[in-house]
Amino acid sequence: MNTIVALLATFPIVFFFSLLFEGIDRKIHARMQKRIGPPIIQPFYDFIKLFNKERIVPVTAASGIFTAVPIIAAAVSILGAAIPVVNLITGTSIVGDLILVLYLLAMSSVMVMIGGSSSGNPYGAIGFSRKMTMMIAYEIPMLISIASLSFNPCFSLAYYDVVATQIRMKSLLAFTRLSMAVAAATFLLCVPAAADAVPFDISEAKTEIIHGSLIEYGGPYLALIKLAKAASNFTLAFLAATLFFYVPALFEGYVSLGLGVALCLCLVTSLIFMLLTTTVPRTIFARLKIGQAFKFYWLIPLTLSMLSVALSIVGL
Amino acid sequence: MTDKSDDAKEIKVDYTRLRIPFGPVHPALKEPISLRVTVRKEEILDVDIRLGHVHRGIEALAENRNLVQTLYLVERICGICCHSHTTCFTQAVEEIGGIKPSERALYLRTLIFELERIHSHLLILGLVGYDIGFETLFMFCWHVREEVLDLFEEITGNRVHHAMNTIGGVRWDLPPHLIEKVNVSLKKIEKSAKYIYDVFQDKTVEKRLCEVGVLSYNEAQELCIVGPTARGSGVSMDVRRDYPYAAYKELKDRFSVVLKYGADTYARTEVRISELFESINLIRTILDELPNGSISMEESVLKLMREIPEGETVSMVEAPRGELLHFVKTDGKEGLRRLKVRTPTLANILGLKPMLIGGEIADIPVTLASIDPCIGCANRITVVDEDQGEVRVIGLEDLRRRGRKR
Amino acid sequence: MSVTARSRIKSPWLFHLNTGSCNGCDLEIVAALTPRYDVERLGCVLVGSPRHADVLLVTGPVTRQMLPRVIRVYEQVPEPKVVVAIGSCASSGSPFLGSQMIEGPLDKIIPVDVYVAGCPPRPEAIVMGIVTAVKRKFG
Ligand code: SF4
Repeated sequence: MNTIVALLATFPIVFFFSLLFEGIDRKIHARMQKRIGPPIIQPFYDFIKLFNKERIVPVTAASGIFTAVPIIAAAVSILGAAIPVVNLITGTSIVGDLILVLYLLAMSSVMVMIGGSSSGNPYGAIGFSRKMTMMIAYEIPMLISIASLSFNPCFSLAYYDVVATQIRMKSLLAFTRLSMAVAAATFLLCVPAAADAVPFDISEAKTEIIHGSLIEYGGPYLALIKLAKAASNFTLAFLAATLFFYVPALFEGYVSLGLGVALCLCLVTSLIFMLLTTTVPRTIFARLKIGQAFKFYWLIPLTLSMLSVALSIVGL
Repeated sequence: MTDKSDDAKEIKVDYTRLRIPFGPVHPALKEPISLRVTVRKEEILDVDIRLGHVHRGIEALAENRNLVQTLYLVERICGICCHSHTTCFTQAVEEIGGIKPSERALYLRTLIFELERIHSHLLILGLVGYDIGFETLFMFCWHVREEVLDLFEEITGNRVHHAMNTIGGVRWDLPPHLIEKVNVSLKKIEKSAKYIYDVFQDKTVEKRLCEVGVLSYNEAQELCIVGPTARGSGVSMDVRRDYPYAAYKELKDRFSVVLKYGADTYARTEVRISELFESINLIRTILDELPNGSISMEESVLKLMREIPEGETVSMVEAPRGELLHFVKTDGKEGLRRLKVRTPTLANILGLKPMLIGGEIADIPVTLASIDPCIGCANRITVVDEDQGEVRVIGLEDLRRRGRKR
Repeated sequence: MSVTARSRIKSPWLFHLNTGSCNGCDLEIVAALTPRYDVERLGCVLVGSPRHADVLLVTGPVTRQMLPRVIRVYEQVPEPKVVVAIGSCASSGSPFLGSQMIEGPLDKIIPVDVYVAGCPPRPEAIVMGIVTAVKRKFG
């Protein structure tokens, strides 16, 4: 019971920070292009506006699936974001482990994909097949990099255990062991693809397939899907920041940080990670083709993730 | 008819084949063009090109207007290469009327011409960037382009439709303080063009452009491809050098025709970037050698127009996209009997089919951008619609219907 | 002003429809996105699907071939929506008036909220047109 209340209480926090992060991302993206850019709270305006627009369900769409999908996607990815936050705040591993979080994130992508293909638009179908290919490409290295945590002695797949270990060691996980550094690198390489950012935004390329799966969505449905995207981007950044780089651990033993300060530090680090993994590539790269992206993921991150598993087994 | 239905059956059986409409309303296109693309997964099997969405009946309109009105109408054929159109048209009219514009006027025409080439090439380089998802490159190219537009505004008073040409000369002079300004801006543009050149060497950009939309030398010659698209396939052609007009007669040796042999999208992009530098140099030469004299005739344009006899001629210029051709037939009473415009895009768009087939969906926008289509230009042709197995000239029935109503 | 109205004014998403223009207006619309004018500072984004849009920017004098598409795109935009006619062509059909191929001007076909005159209008004028339209309709 308590856990459910805690999770529900975290929903507004997640909502707020995911949209805020998106706003910062857009602002910095614009500044890097020498533009002024939208106000930081722009995503909130977008959300409210979209939410109050007309609902249109195209005649070609399977209306049941089409309307249900955005709600599920948003709920699932906010839940995915809430789990690590709750665990961090309560300092226990009461709800869910890392596999569940990753599963929820993947689920939200799959939902959007299904929604797109149920719209009856050929571009939605192409978006579906592209996203499918991309998911096969990045989910595997990402899963392995997380799973390699558990190959280490004294680690488990429970989220707070990893954080607690970092606190105990008074250091960042990625800096303590070689295997973990490799795993962190893999995870960070996978983030742009999971976040659908250029150069890996192949599944919703605007100029190629008109936003892919999103093409027929409008109004509240689009608002929910955008929220789902923002929340999963937030989760990815938050996971990267706390799993591998739990900065408050560095202060352990010198000053005692309150929970609030620790949380703020985590948010700041996740913001930095989001800027590094999403905003910067988005600004400085061109979009890859699906084959090239697939090759990239199976060449570099997959090898790296294997390496991290091998290293953990060896005990490095 | 029979093979059509066979085709349909095949599509029905083969569920992996998907027919996607690309356009006429599509974010990668700034103008409507319709491609029916048949794909299997990501691979393109067939392409069908439909034009005519922008058919505004300009050629027919021109027949009801007098020469000066038509001058402003041909300018509205296209907003990107408007100066090419007016130059081509005025040249034809001047030839019929035996009018010789002053040297200074010709040089000024050429100056605007080259500025237009810079602006057009920057525009399309930006759009290539946009189509491959490289928004920053797009922003940068268009930012540089604003510099050229500022020059246009200072010289002619307009950002887009310059209305610089008039029968017998040009409408605006270039005072010395503007020459200074052009020089300063050119420096900035050159610096940025170098930077753009570097950016196009970027790995992801190269990955998207190399080996995409290949059009071999032979195909380019067979299909009569023109302009930078042909030069990217190694076909050496340039109206400025082959049939010099305006001030190019004197400036013929002052620029070189850029040729690349890659035959892919990257080569075409490279041609455009190199032409930026050629144009910048050419403008510098023009500014140095600008002759003195008046810029237009003593008489007013209307008087000149009245004196134009009956006659017909063909005039050609090298627009930013390639060879542009106007056929003009005057009726000796201020008006036109026939105007025919053959734009470079119309020639180049035929090359799309060999370029696209065998490629991927992801390549469509960038290949399309690489031939630099200007649909507004291409659409004054009558389109032959073979959908029903018949040859139907779009607009003709409508014309008849309307004619009967009157 | 209610929160909804305020967010509508603050985030007008644009969809650009070319109905046979000469490119001039389209260029200026795209130029309005670029660093010097940057409409994104007002929350505008150029979207690719009419389903996402709030503001329909229409250029060109509406040729016969584009007529059904104009209507279809207009219907695809979810309510509340604003239509801005960009350029003299869309506002009055100016240079092409009298051609048999032209069905326009635009207001004969769909309701237009704001006309931006000019051939082509400057990007500043286009931005101004968008802002006026949105303020008037949603404010
Ligand atoms: S108003 Fe002028 S610039 Fe705009 S589309 Fe019409 S002719 Fe072109």
